[in-house]
Amino acid sequence: MTTAILSAPSARAGASIDVLFLGLAILATAAITALVLLDGQMASAALVIGGFGLGIAFWKAEFSYTASFRRFLNSGEAGGLIGGLIVIAVAALAVVPVAALYPNYGGAIAPLGPSLIIGAFVFGIGMQLGNGCGSGTLYTVGGGSGRMLVTLAFFIAGSVFGSLSLPPFLAMGGIDPVLASDYLGPWGGLVATLVSIAIGIAIFITIARKRGANWKPSRSYIVGGLAIGLLCVFVFAAGGHPWSVTFGYTVWGAKIATALGFDLSNAAFWQWPGPKQALTNSVLSDTSSLTDFGVIFGAMAAAAATKPFASASWPPVKSLLAGAVGGLLMGWGARLGFGCNIGAFVGGIASGSVHGWVWFLACLPGCWIGIRLRPLFGMSKD
Amino acid sequence: MRKTYIVVTVLALIVIVGQHLTSPSSGRAVSPEDFAGACAPCGAPCPSKK
Repeated sequence: MTTAILSAPSARAGASIDVLFLGLAILATAAITALVLLDGQMASAALVIGGFGLGIAFWKAEFSYTASFRRFLNSGEAGGLIGGLIVIAVAALAVVPVAALYPNYGGAIAPLGPSLIIGAFVFGIGMQLGNGCGSGTLYTVGGGSGRMLVTLAFFIAGSVFGSLSLPPFLAMGGIDPVLASDYLGPWGGLVATLVSIAIGIAIFITIARKRGANWKPSRSYIVGGLAIGLLCVFVFAAGGHPWSVTFGYTVWGAKIATALGFDLSNAAFWQWPGPKQALTNSVLSDTSSLTDFGVIFGAMAAAAATKPFASASWPPVKSLLAGAVGGLLMGWGARLGFGCNIGAFVGGIASGSVHGWVWFLACLPGCWIGIRLRPLFGMSKD
Repeated sequence: MRKTYIVVTVLALIVIVGQHLTSPSSGRAVSPEDFAGACAPCGAPCPSKK
C-alpha cells in the first residue's frame, strides 16, 4: 500500500506527518460531531471534542495508570501515582461542589460491597496483562497499537459478561454510596476530598522514600496531569457527570451481541432504566461512548501528527494472548467494580465518594498478581 | 498493521453512523446515572432500594 507520509521540514529532525491517518482522525471526529450537532446537541459535540483533547493529552504525556501502579509495586516509585492524584485533585475542585449544589450535575458514586472489591481486584490483574486500563486501552488503540486492538475487543466482550454477572454479585449485599458532601456539605466535602488526596500523596512519598525510590512526578506527568484534570472538568461540565469510559464498551458489546442474535433485553442489568435506554438508543446518545470516540481519534491525530502511524509489526502471539486475557478480565472487573481507573478511581475520589479509595485499595493486590503473571506471556515484570 | 487499522477505522465509522441513523435518539446524551434510582455510573440500584 502506498502510504501518505509527508516530511515536515520545519519540525524537529525525524518527525513526520502521517497525512492519511491524521486526515482519517479529523474526518471521523468531524463526522461524529456533525451528526450530534444535526440533532441540536451542543453538549454531545462538547463531549466528543473533550474526548479528542483527552486523547491528545494522554498520548503526548504518555500518561499511564497501569505503568504507574506497576512501578509503585515493583520499586516504590510513586511519581506516576502522584501524577494520577493531580488529575483527581484538579477535577475535584469542580466536581464536589458543583455536584452538591446543582441538581443537573452529579458525582460518580457506587455502593460499597463485595462486587466493588472483587471487580476492582480482577480489574487490577487484567490491567497488568492487558498493559493498559480503560483510558490506556483507548488512547493506545487510537495511537496505533495493534496489540491494544485485541485488548479492546476482549475488554468489550468481558464487559458484556460483567453486565450479566453484576446483579447476582450486588445481591451478595453492600451499603449505599458514602459521599463526603452528604455529611460535610459542598465545601466541607471538597476540603475532606483534598485532604484525603494529600494523605494519599504523603503515604506514597513515605513508601517511596523507605524503598529508596523516586517519588517526584516527571514534568510530563505534572503538565499532563493538570491538562487531563482540566479536561475532566470540561467533560463533567458538558455531560453532567464525571468522565467515564467502560460503560461505553458495555453498550458497544451489547449492541454487537444483539446484532448477532443474542437477546440481552431480559437480563436484569439491561432492564435497569439507564442500560435499557442505552441498548435501544443511538450509540451517540451515550455520554461515555461520545468521549470514548473522541479519545480514540484524538490519540490517532496526535500520533499521526508526529510519526508514521501503526508502522510497528504485530507483537508475538503470547503477547496478543495476554492482551485478550487482560481485556476479558478488565471488562468483567470494570462492570463489577463500577468502572476503571477513570470512572471509579478518578471519578469516585474526585466526587468525594469513598468507593474511589476502596477501588484503589482493592485494585493494588490485583495488580501485584497481574505483574507476576506477565512473564507467563513473555512480558517483563517491569 | 496499517491496513488493519484502515479497515477497522472505516468499518467502525460506517457502523457508528449507520447505527445512529437507524436508532432512536433521546435528544440530549445521557448517562445511566441520570435515571431515578441509579446508584452507580452503570445505573445499578442502591442496596437500600432492594
